[in-house]
Amino acid sequence: MSRKLVVDSSVFIALSRRGTLEQYLKQKKDEGYEVLIPRAIARELLYDPKRLAEEISEKSPVLAKKIMQSVEAIDAAIGHGLIRVETVNYRKYSRVADNVRKHLSQLEAMKEHTVKKGDPEIIVLIIQLHDKFKERISVSTNDKGLLRTLRAFRNVVEYEVLNH
Amino acid sequence: MSEKAISVLKAVGNPNKARIVAHLAGHSGETAEDLGRHLSYPLPTVYKYLRELEAARIVRSEVKDKVRLYYSSDFKLEVSPRKLMEMFEEQSILNLYRSRFGEEGMRRFSEVARKVKAGNMTYRQAASTLGITYYEFVSLMDEAGAIQ
Repeated sequence: MSRKLVVDSSVFIALSRRGTLEQYLKQKKDEGYEVLIPRAIARELLYDPKRLAEEISEKSPVLAKKIMQSVEAIDAAIGHGLIRVETVNYRKYSRVADNVRKHLSQLEAMKEHTVKKGDPEIIVLIIQLHDKFKERISVSTNDKGLLRTLRAFRNVVEYEVLNH
Repeated sequence: MSEKAISVLKAVGNPNKARIVAHLAGHSGETAEDLGRHLSYPLPTVYKYLRELEAARIVRSEVKDKVRLYYSSDFKLEVSPRKLMEMFEEQSILNLYRSRFGEEGMRRFSEVARKVKAGNMTYRQAASTLGITYYEFVSLMDEAGAIQ
């Protein structure tokens, strides 16, 4: 059975901008990982940059093209099954999600309702996968704030942080 | 500056091509042979320049009675040090961000990036604080060399 690797958007965005996303994903597959993302972050990987590219296409065509290439690389990886989009079960994990939001809001003293959906979704997904497969979940992100929040849940989830 | 402006500038930056455009402005609907004769250019050179000018949409052509005729297209090009800087400046998210938010925006980005690096703020919180998308923030961090 493959090991579960939850990857944050920051990793995909940086790799796709450098043109090394496909290589990274193939390497992870060869190493026996299944790469997963929650549904909320699929949006920030595909729709938001696409909209940005459309907005700037007149003034900065080269940059717009570069952004679209990055979007297409991620879209193709999802289409080819190299990245699996997983749905978070909010009915089952609503209390966990509330707790995660609370921790995230404490990071920068922000109100809970201003916490962006992607952050709690990633952490809840990691907890959900651990519950389901009873195994250590691998996590890859550039975001220290996110990892700091995840550390607050180490009593309920076994995970390891992978460098990319 | 748009891609169209860049191609216009590249085209008219060549004096031979600029002469073709100037000539067509006063002698609309000439053939390639007419142009070669009037400007004393070899015919293959005229064809080469016309191909390039048509690709840049500075010159257009149409076939009338089996003869291809050339016309100059209307364009206006403003050249200034600022426009040239915009044209040749590398197109990056960092430059895009700077053009939208100015130096004050750059100062705010540095401040937020410091918090992010210390783990006191997530990337998404940072993007929201700066009023940009998550993609833009990650790209800014990448271009600033803050991502491995």
